Amino acid sequence: MNTQAIGILFLKDLFLSRKPLFAYFVGGICSSGLACVPNETVAFTGSILSITVAIGAGMHLIGGLLLGETIEQTRIFVMSLPISLMEYSIAKIAVVLTTYLIPWSAMLACSMILHYILPESKQGTVAIIPVIFLYLLGAFTIQLVTAVLTESIGWTIFMVVCCNVLLNVFLKKLYSFSAIIEAAESDVLIWPPLVQQILLIELLIIVSAIAIAITFQARKRDLI
Amino acid sequence: MTTRLETPKEIESSSVTQTALSLRNVSKKYKHFELKKINFEVASGTVMGLIGPNGAGKSTTMRILMGLVNPNQGEVSVLGQAISSCQAAAKGQIGYFSDEMRLYKGEAIGWHIQFVRSICPTWDESYAKELLERFGLIEAQIIKGLSHGQRVKAMLLLILARKPKLLILDEPTNGLDPVAKHEVLAELMRVVEDEDRTILYSSHNTQDVEQISDDITFIDRGQVIASDNRDEFLMRWKRIRLHISEGWEVPKIPGLRLESSFRNLRILSSNRFYDAMPSQIQATGAVIEAIEPMTLEEIFVSSVVRGREEGKE
Repeated sequence: MNTQAIGILFLKDLFLSRKPLFAYFVGGICSSGLACVPNETVAFTGSILSITVAIGAGMHLIGGLLLGETIEQTRIFVMSLPISLMEYSIAKIAVVLTTYLIPWSAMLACSMILHYILPESKQGTVAIIPVIFLYLLGAFTIQLVTAVLTESIGWTIFMVVCCNVLLNVFLKKLYSFSAIIEAAESDVLIWPPLVQQILLIELLIIVSAIAIAITFQARKRDLI
Repeated sequence: MTTRLETPKEIESSSVTQTALSLRNVSKKYKHFELKKINFEVASGTVMGLIGPNGAGKSTTMRILMGLVNPNQGEVSVLGQAISSCQAAAKGQIGYFSDEMRLYKGEAIGWHIQFVRSICPTWDESYAKELLERFGLIEAQIIKGLSHGQRVKAMLLLILARKPKLLILDEPTNGLDPVAKHEVLAELMRVVEDEDRTILYSSHNTQDVEQISDDITFIDRGQVIASDNRDEFLMRWKRIRLHISEGWEVPKIPGLRLESSFRNLRILSSNRFYDAMPSQIQATGAVIEAIEPMTLEEIFVSSVVRGREEGKE
């Protein structure tokens, strides 16, 4: 495995996605900040914007970095260079994940810190935020697997829609548990066992999805 | 026009020449197209022209050679290595151009140079600069602002400056204006002067292929229909114009085929012309008006038509 080639491919894609990455990073921090403003309308708008930024970033990065190379026919150029399919696949999935994780981490950190330090906020909410953000990351990795398997914008968008619809179901279900409501309304930060279990399941889904994406990408027989 | 190096037979007998690439019984099946048992090889230091109509299987063959597409069956060897097992190592010595290949349209030529140079240790900086000047390109030019000809030249620069031992060029002159085409072909001819470098060049334009190729392979409907040395092709194929009397029939001479007829005039073609053939034809009562050489394009068209007719039979 040529790690140098993987690094070069990774940096190339990171450079190519610098503009949307910066926009989503700034948009994510701003929307997360709005979500913590002690005004119901502004906070709601901020929350919706945060989720929109997370979903938009995912679609943009998968479309631009993964499917874009096929559509724009730049993949043939890259694959004509002395790199193996495995090196290409690892670099590609690593860069798609990294570029998503940058605004995602910024939003998560911003939301958690602001909810923790602002006197108007309930500190208990801090434990619920990662549950929602890990759902968004899980949804992104599932969309990534869909894009890798199908190489189709149509199927990827279909999966984005499914994940968005399921987000509402997920949030409704989440707030139906008394342990979650108690934790969210607590003035101090607590991590109930249920939250820990959900986080663990979400992490397992994310790791599995990434493993599936790399395996299937590297096992492709035809690149064109 | 380049000087021909060796005939295939000479290549076989030579101990120093090696096979740069070979395909043995390579097949690839798609929903509406099939590449059927492709067999050919290209000797090191030669130029092989792959000629075929659109949709013949030229691009698929070249993609298989690059490992971009995996064949359903058969063996592919490039520069002594099986492409399936040593893809990255083999590609280090191959320069591949495809008409469908695109560069990153938002980035400059210089950015692409930097990217390829960082991946390919064989990159020749002074040759790249030379090519930039010869092709009239500027490093700061953004790809989306380039004309088609400039884009092709930029891609060729990125390929040639890597100094690959094998060039696989899929229709590089497609859509180029005559001046750009001349520049591209002139550069390829300079590459050909280096006897260690091998080129597989595909096109449906026989004139381009004829200019630089030592050997030629015709491909149609996913099958190799003829493969030989260029000069052998031109020598073996002849057009024979005849005056005939009523009731005359084309003699059953192997390789002789009726191309067209008008009143008592007949035009025949032969793909294996020999000195005694005219007297054999005249013995049937026909009067030979002329025996003419055929252009590569005429040979190609006739080969395709013959191949399709044989396919029907």
